[in-house]
Amino acid sequence: MSQFWSVYIIAIVVLNLAGCAILLLVNLKMTPEEARNETTGHSFDGIQERNQPLPRWWLFLFVGTLIFSVIYLVLYPGLGRFGGLLNWSSVTQWQEEVALVEKRSEPLFAEFAKVPVDELHQYPEARDVGGRLFANNCAICHGSDARGAKGYPNLTDDDWLYGGSADAILTSITQGRNGMMPPMAAAIGGTDAAVRDMALYVQSLSRPDMTGDPQVAKAVERAKPKFAVCAACHGQDATGNQALGAPNLTDGIWLHGARLEDIETTIRQGRNSHMPKHEGVLTDERLHVLAAYVYGLSHSDEE
Amino acid sequence: MANYHSVIEKNVGLMIVLTLVAVSFGGLAEIVPLFWQKATTEPMATLRPYSALEMAGRDVYIREGCHVCHTQMVRPLRAETERFGPYSVAGEDVWEHPFLWGSKRTGPDLDRVGLRPITEQWHREHLRDPRQVVPESNMPAYPWLAENTVDWSHMERTLKVFKNQFGVPYSDQDIDEQMNKVRGEWADATEEDAVVAYLLSLGQARREER
Repeated sequence: MSQFWSVYIIAIVVLNLAGCAILLLVNLKMTPEEARNETTGHSFDGIQERNQPLPRWWLFLFVGTLIFSVIYLVLYPGLGRFGGLLNWSSVTQWQEEVALVEKRSEPLFAEFAKVPVDELHQYPEARDVGGRLFANNCAICHGSDARGAKGYPNLTDDDWLYGGSADAILTSITQGRNGMMPPMAAAIGGTDAAVRDMALYVQSLSRPDMTGDPQVAKAVERAKPKFAVCAACHGQDATGNQALGAPNLTDGIWLHGARLEDIETTIRQGRNSHMPKHEGVLTDERLHVLAAYVYGLSHSDEE
Repeated sequence: MANYHSVIEKNVGLMIVLTLVAVSFGGLAEIVPLFWQKATTEPMATLRPYSALEMAGRDVYIREGCHVCHTQMVRPLRAETERFGPYSVAGEDVWEHPFLWGSKRTGPDLDRVGLRPITEQWHREHLRDPRQVVPESNMPAYPWLAENTVDWSHMERTLKVFKNQFGVPYSDQDIDEQMNKVRGEWADATEEDAVVAYLLSLGQARREER
């Protein structure tokens, strides 16, 4: 702030305070005549307007606010470039807050960092911290209950696209994951009927009872040989491949919907799933605690 | 001593003038100096002007009233910087006309939403049906954004107004470039494309501090 604006602000603030004080003093005094009459001299229909000195309690409050403002301006910034005796600013207050919490939490995180991810989830304090990290960073996609949503995996079950080991979870969070299933309609024949057959076959993998329907049984028979192109990623037995993030198709867990239409859409259009990387978004210590929390979501019965 | 207040009380014109003088002190001391402070008039070095698509998204954002529930103002409080990202400073909003700071949070602050690791796909699903991805959300759905194409008819003029009236440093070449994209790759862009582009642009000036 330049010298000019500093002086300008100080002048207005001081003038304002002085003006208030003078206004108060001027109105404090009454002419002897006024004091004698106790009225303003107005009279309407025999009703007179009284003229009394300012009530004492109100006067003291007013003086009190003036004194308060003087003390405030001495201690806190308000007079141009003068920063106040306390040297307070919202930025330094924020820095102090951050530093204080950093200092308090550092030993805690250091302690957590010594414990491997697959054991840390048994520490109640780590679970609390992890839960908050999860709520702020993961819940918008995976849900506040971590049960996921269509297109966003459930983290509380034992089904893992990229593996459920402590290392795999930490890697998923830190580095992110890119899941890509290409459109497959052309590769399996390209016709609507071929897509429908394949969808029925894939659906029947986790619902063997479906083949009791002769229509479905026929569709399965037609689609089965074509599954070879799917098997490249999902495996001959359709149980998936965690190295590629190709889901297990036999377990009845459907990331992109279990309905026949959903499966057809997946086959027709493919799917692109992107788990963003969190390296640099959160510190390594926090990623460690977060991974432990996520690990604990499906391992809580071990306690 | 003369009875000044009775003079003022009996003279409405004088009273109006003195009232205006009295109420102007706060503004004169707190607001007027900011018009000449570098902290409020100079853009941050890392700030870049909106693309035409982001600008269109911003217009849709205003039209749909997003700013009524979402602030774009992270206060210098630890809880807020922990949750959202670096606190907001005036230099980020020099080119904002109108600014969208807001004053009430029904939803979360969005000033740093472009810095969060949220995918474009998530934003689209969330705009179409917020409860699909966040079951406890009370945000309304905006499915029509995906169906409406952007109304580009005023964009060239908008960019020129921002350049000439608001001092946003678009060069004539920048505007030509943006308008070529508007006629080309963005010609059929939906309002959802525009809003998502705008959301992803929020906070980019502060990327290095995250």
